[in-house]
Amino acid sequence: MTTTTDRPVQEASSTTPAPGGSPRLSDRGLAVAFISPALLLLLGMSVFPLLWALYLSFTDYSATRATGANFVGFDNYSLILGSSEVHKRALTTLIYVVGAVLLQTVLGFSIAYLISRRTRGRGALTTLFLVPMMLSPVVVGLFWKFMLDAQFGVINSMLGSLGFGQVEWLTRQRTALFSLIVVDTWQWTPFIMLIALAGLTAVPNYLYEAASIDRASEWFRFRHITLPMVWPLLLIAVMFRAIEAFRLFDLVYILTSGGPGVSTETLSFHVYKVAFLGFNTGTASAYGILMVLVVIVLAQFYLRYLNKLKEG
Amino acid sequence: MRYSKRAGLSSLPGRKVRLATAALLVATTFAACGGGGDDGDDDGGTPAAGGPKAPATVPELSDDPTTLSFVWFEWPPAQALEDFANAEYTKERPNVTIEVNTVPNANWHDAMFTQFAAQQTDFDIAILDSQHIGEAVTNGNILDITDFVNENIDVDAYDPYLLAAYGQYPQAETGQRDEDASLYGLPLLGDTWTMIYRKDLIGDEPPETWDEMIDTAQKCQDENPGVSGLAFHQANGSDAAAVTYNTVNGVYGGNLWNSADKQIEGVINDEAGQKAMDVLVNEMKPLTAKGSGNWFIDETNAAVAQGKACIAFQWIAAAGGLLDPAQSTLGTTEDEILDKLGFATLPTQDSDVVPLGGMGMHISAYVSESQQAEALNFMKWFEQEDIQKKWAAAGGVPSRTDAIQSPEFLEAGPFNQVYADSVARMRDMWNVPEYAKLIDIENTNVNAALNGAKSPEDALNDIAEQQQGVLDGGGGL
Repeated sequence: MTTTTDRPVQEASSTTPAPGGSPRLSDRGLAVAFISPALLLLLGMSVFPLLWALYLSFTDYSATRATGANFVGFDNYSLILGSSEVHKRALTTLIYVVGAVLLQTVLGFSIAYLISRRTRGRGALTTLFLVPMMLSPVVVGLFWKFMLDAQFGVINSMLGSLGFGQVEWLTRQRTALFSLIVVDTWQWTPFIMLIALAGLTAVPNYLYEAASIDRASEWFRFRHITLPMVWPLLLIAVMFRAIEAFRLFDLVYILTSGGPGVSTETLSFHVYKVAFLGFNTGTASAYGILMVLVVIVLAQFYLRYLNKLKEG
Repeated sequence: MRYSKRAGLSSLPGRKVRLATAALLVATTFAACGGGGDDGDDDGGTPAAGGPKAPATVPELSDDPTTLSFVWFEWPPAQALEDFANAEYTKERPNVTIEVNTVPNANWHDAMFTQFAAQQTDFDIAILDSQHIGEAVTNGNILDITDFVNENIDVDAYDPYLLAAYGQYPQAETGQRDEDASLYGLPLLGDTWTMIYRKDLIGDEPPETWDEMIDTAQKCQDENPGVSGLAFHQANGSDAAAVTYNTVNGVYGGNLWNSADKQIEGVINDEAGQKAMDVLVNEMKPLTAKGSGNWFIDETNAAVAQGKACIAFQWIAAAGGLLDPAQSTLGTTEDEILDKLGFATLPTQDSDVVPLGGMGMHISAYVSESQQAEALNFMKWFEQEDIQKKWAAAGGVPSRTDAIQSPEFLEAGPFNQVYADSVARMRDMWNVPEYAKLIDIENTNVNAALNGAKSPEDALNDIAEQQQGVLDGGGGL
């Protein structure tokens, strides 16, 4: 089996160059030539800034002061890890990530499940549900800010017509964070839905047919066929969403500016303040590196769990 | 055989690619490091702290088509400046076009100082808030124009404190100017708060004391369902909530700091400061509209224009739109609106200070000498008496005393007399390099107190402790 699958590749590599091609450029040279621009771009735009930020994180460098960068060892890291201000933002971020991703997963999967059971208008419905995901987060933030306005917003207007009082969505501690979760959920539930839908449509029909023959209940089919088949795919979607939510900045900036007080300031928003209000570039670099490390470590644990699930 | 051949083939170019990658990274690193060093050491591109000096006289100007760029935040005076300068300055310099580029208010500081950090600006003149000067001067971002001012500007034509507030560093004592200190800018737009009141709801005479103002607002709110007693800035972006607290602090006799000793702890949160915070949170906040905890300039204007507030506080330079019938429900003509709206200086209480607003013009240290020359020429032209009067007539708020007292200014808007009467009462915040951090601390804590996220006492004590930490060189994150 292995031999047969390898053969076309070997044959392709031994094929003589087409007439008119450069006689000096081998296949590998051609491959390197094609890859180089992307590789250079990646090195210049991603790898180098990351390494540079890593270097700055061990210095007291400030982008606006002409004093240069002095090596301070792990001072920036210990300052960040020991700061109660950072702990506060980490807790806010955790609540936000758990709340938003949980809500999006439940809603996204439910919508996908309902759509997958429908045969007519499935494509149109899917496209319709995907619209929020295609909008810029800044635009989403701006129109939700108007909708959630306590005085003139359409949400309070609707609540008022139902006999409820005005809710201060963006200016009270609990409702402000809840509002951020709701807006993020509105925008990103379609992402979970899309991946869940892909998983649901891939479930072989014969499994359901066999279950029908055995007179299995709807719940039994969902619990023992649908969910186990979709679960690994859903977990990957959850991971993507959790990483995205972890670095939330734009919605906070537009909707609450981190307020009231600092109660909706996420870690990313705090990094922005450290970097651009105080221009403590070294400290902000260390802060950013720590955030990347957290994501990498958590993602590694998560991927191991996924692999175990796959092996199981 | 084929497999091993392929593996062998891949190892050599792989090594080459890895070596090339490493070389590229090293080269990029040297380029990044070297760039900064060169600027600083060789060509003088990085100005020393304090900023390079501008020439005492305007150098020879270019006759080539030139664009002089400003950076400001998005609000009506920005468009007014662009229109005015293009209409008037081009009479003297037909080859020059003025561009006033704007950013949202919340991005204003970042938009200027990230470019300063890159030592390359796409603006020639930065319009800095008075409190930004310390940061810009310390980092060498703007030109020292002391000699230029001495040669070209009639400094006696200004109230000394206005000239100092928009240009001097180190910061002047309130109400004074230190003639030995350097100047880094010249006034562009003066400003302070005005009290806007509904004459049809509370009468023609505005309240004279702060306590009386609160009582009047309470009575007005009780008598007019759907209309809130007060509207003012409470947002945690820019300097919104902080200016509100600072104003009330001043009115009740408090101080923000002891500038000589750089002491904040024990000063801002003294008895007068605590009283001011208590009045703001427990007496004024209950008279505002529900959900107004994130209001700034636009939202306050909207509340007044929609007839939803009895008394409001607003920057004079941002109050012009209130007279526009197209934006107001108070009348179909300006006269009808003015029958209902009155503008007055802020009430006094234990003290009679008002907040100093407005901004000055500052020349970027990172643009070419020809652009700096054009910028100096513009500033010299702009600060002339007749031009200042024309600027006043065009909707600007001048700083020259003769222009402030001129009919062109006083008759240009119903709130301009308020500005003229307030000049002697103005007080600014801290003008130090750490300003951005200090204002963020105050904004977030006052906003937290106004929205119930912190008690007034805790908020004020946190402000004092955190701001002191910043001034002392620590202050955590």
